[in-house]
Amino acid sequence: MESILFMSSPLVGIIANPASGRDIRRLVAHGTVFDNNEKTAIVRRVLLGLEAVGIQRVAYMPEHDFGILPRALTELHGHHLQLAAEPLEMVVLGTSADSTRAAQSLAKLGAGCIITLGGDGTNRAVAKGCGTVPLVPISTGTNNVFPAFLEGTIAGMAAGLIASGMGDERTIKRAPRLEVCINDVAIESALVDVVVSSLPFVGARALWDMSVVREVVLSCVTPATIGLSALGGALLDAGYERGEQVGMHIMLGAGGSQVLIPLAPGLISWVDISEHRRLAVDDMVLCQPGAGTVALDGEREIELSATSVVEVRLCADGPYVVDVPAVLEAAAHAGRLHRQQAD
Amino acid sequence: MATKQRSSAAGQTLDKSQLLHMYEQMKTIREFEERAGKEFASGKVPGFVHLYAGEEAVAVGVCSHLTDDDYITSHHRGHGHCIAKGVDLRAMAAELLGREAGACRGKGGSMHIADVNKGMLGANGIVGGGFPLAVGAGLTAKTNGKGQVAVCFFGDGAANQGTFHEGLNLAGIWKLPVVFVAENNGYAESTPVTYHMSCRDIADRAAGYNMPGVTVDGLDVLAVHEAAGEAIARARRGEGPSLIECKTYRYYGHFEGDTTTYRTKEEVNAYRTRDAIEAIHRSIVERGIATAQELDAIDKKVQDSIDLAWQFAESAPYPSPEEALTDVYVKYP
Repeated sequence: MESILFMSSPLVGIIANPASGRDIRRLVAHGTVFDNNEKTAIVRRVLLGLEAVGIQRVAYMPEHDFGILPRALTELHGHHLQLAAEPLEMVVLGTSADSTRAAQSLAKLGAGCIITLGGDGTNRAVAKGCGTVPLVPISTGTNNVFPAFLEGTIAGMAAGLIASGMGDERTIKRAPRLEVCINDVAIESALVDVVVSSLPFVGARALWDMSVVREVVLSCVTPATIGLSALGGALLDAGYERGEQVGMHIMLGAGGSQVLIPLAPGLISWVDISEHRRLAVDDMVLCQPGAGTVALDGEREIELSATSVVEVRLCADGPYVVDVPAVLEAAAHAGRLHRQQAD
Repeated sequence: MATKQRSSAAGQTLDKSQLLHMYEQMKTIREFEERAGKEFASGKVPGFVHLYAGEEAVAVGVCSHLTDDDYITSHHRGHGHCIAKGVDLRAMAAELLGREAGACRGKGGSMHIADVNKGMLGANGIVGGGFPLAVGAGLTAKTNGKGQVAVCFFGDGAANQGTFHEGLNLAGIWKLPVVFVAENNGYAESTPVTYHMSCRDIADRAAGYNMPGVTVDGLDVLAVHEAAGEAIARARRGEGPSLIECKTYRYYGHFEGDTTTYRTKEEVNAYRTRDAIEAIHRSIVERGIATAQELDAIDKKVQDSIDLAWQFAESAPYPSPEEALTDVYVKYP
């Protein structure tokens, strides 16, 4: 039988990270575990949402950890799914590279939309591979700015509508990204923030102690976020207009003001700011030298020597992201959510 | 304001001597296990041995926060915990060989090494046997009121035993200073965790007992050290138990002699490329904390200590037959 992956009807991808939602912030803050049975339940609702708007083909990232998708496809209370779901053909390594390669495969197969379950880190990995395929990111992490707390059913419907042709400039927005160069070589990207700290090792990855943070670069400044990106919201000036796309570079330390920010769930702190400035697209930040680590989207990823040169550039070419309320509004206006009652 | 006091236990506080000590301990565990495997193969070691090689980062990352006043409980794969908690290598080797100079006077063997003076309450041949002991030790620690903690090391198979649930529940309701450290090496004997565990991630179960649960890379000693530091500091402050799940891997079979037909060579090799000892060696040298020569000197010191321990054990006498009637609850005539 021909694989559904190569048929012509709209294809939706699902990348669900089984490892998200259980990092050290459960110990150092008040985060709670986001367990895989809950992720499975969300995916089950996603599938039902996709099916309801006519999607017949779904391809998903396989994983050996838990089997979120295979489990979601069962236990449907007797409901027989009309859509077909298949795993992507790929080697599973159990690392974030799986998410990147799954996104690359989905882009190659012509997926119309990818639904992600994870945190900022998961979406960073997906963004590296998804090309121009729009994302519907569902938050199942800890400190999330890029993905939203979305009901799976709605996320599924929105993704299905986008894959079926509802995507346009009103329903899909392009997110910015931050390009990180070490010693003149572009080696990584971040979607939300790049943080340079004096912590010498990657270790448990998360950052929660402001005394070790030297500087922060934000891809976008929005109020009501959590984590170090909240610094941007706290430093918004009166000239900021809601929805405006600006980045920010913030130096921590004495000599300036203090701002109150939510660093992690339930962990709120006053942070010393020595200076900050807005960033426009293509602006480059040359970070202060010193041994330490660079955290991307909240996780320490790169260890620096004393002579490492770190540059961060704000780029406009991040991933495309679906505006879920806008899609559903557009679908309603287009009559996609209407039909005549049966006689 | 709902702020939370952070502890000073995080990895950034490690200085050179602490990092080198952790390296030395990991190396000691590895060399002890490699030697134990060889001695077992030569027929000198009675009973079974379950080697801890590959999992060193967990025992060392956790125990580097403990003192002799703190308690640990272990399991059948307990050599690494003993070494990380400071049990004498000669007494361990002698115990494996059943000699009178052994940590338990030769009566326990590999699976029952204990040294209460070091707070090591015992390896344990019963899967899940450590939970009640650790909870009891936690109750002692709480009653003493001196800031002691109890750490319970256990495997993924033990996480499915009734004692796991009973132990975590009691620790939760009594708010005991116990840190439960899951060493999830992917297999309960030969059964993969993907088959035997309904939730797959042991940390997920913490919420059911009103305690924080986190998952860390058990092949990264610094990641384990950071998470354990926070959990132990939390326990010492009287904030109750925590569950840390360390994703790790054992290089050898469940026991020496296990043909390991349930996993592939490719899988083993993939984990060996992420070797925890090589990783910390690389980190120390690349960051200029110590030179390769300094680490070579530590390697030599470790090898010498292992050789001396086994030489001591082999030359030590066996206990007399009458010893079988001592250290028991019933006095025989």
